[in-house]
Amino acid sequence: MRGVLHGLVAETSRIAIVDLEAGLEHLSRGTARHVDTLLVIGEPYFKSLETAHRSFTLARELGIKQTRMVANKVRTPRDEDTVREFANRHALDLVTVVPYDTAVTEADERGAALFEHRPDAPSVAAIRHLADQLVEAAP
Amino acid sequence: MKIAIGGKGGSGKTTIAGTLARVLAARGLPVVALDDDSNPNLALTVGVPAGRAAGLPALPRDLLEERQDAQGQTSLELKIPTDDFIDRYGVPAADNLTLLVMGQPSHGGSG
Repeated sequence: MRGVLHGLVAETSRIAIVDLEAGLEHLSRGTARHVDTLLVIGEPYFKSLETAHRSFTLARELGIKQTRMVANKVRTPRDEDTVREFANRHALDLVTVVPYDTAVTEADERGAALFEHRPDAPSVAAIRHLADQLVEAAP
Repeated sequence: MKIAIGGKGGSGKTTIAGTLARVLAARGLPVVALDDDSNPNLALTVGVPAGRAAGLPALPRDLLEERQDAQGQTSLELKIPTDDFIDRYGVPAADNLTLLVMGQPSHGGSG
């Protein structure tokens, strides 16, 4: 049945945004075949960045056309340096840095969509920038 | 544009996926957000109340047909056009945005 649903991604005329199973070890050829970009979310600490790095390798083996990294929960300039330095060293395409943002936890606590709770939040601004980059790169 | 978003649990992937979907839809682009996580929480971040985000019902068999490829592999395919399927089984989330939950909904932690 999952095959049918993955086929939807390929065949719909709409833009498709797929929230994958947590942990990229679940990434399958089925998913890989149908998406044109995989975004890997990484946090600014070593273990998370190493996991993101492994996801890039796995995605390449599965034949995903393009993999890009989004850094999330970046609190300090030093965090940002850590992420940029790691991405440079391993040639990971870092597309956007999303700052740590209390609006995200606030929205969670209220059971609200971040986009509705605080459309002007710094994290939302970064995701708008992400959207710009993706639209620009779209085939 | 077909984008998959992955990361460890707790990395914020669901918040980013849902908000990205809302941002694109708010620009007038037609978007389908698909929740492929076995602990689906995307509904909340796209603005669908938990109660309305039931998982896909068991699909009626007459919607599917078995097809065989040149190598003799069979697969199930939809008999109705994909976008009709999304209209019928998706949950309207916001302007231009439809949510499809592939797994079963739960109310556990977020990803």
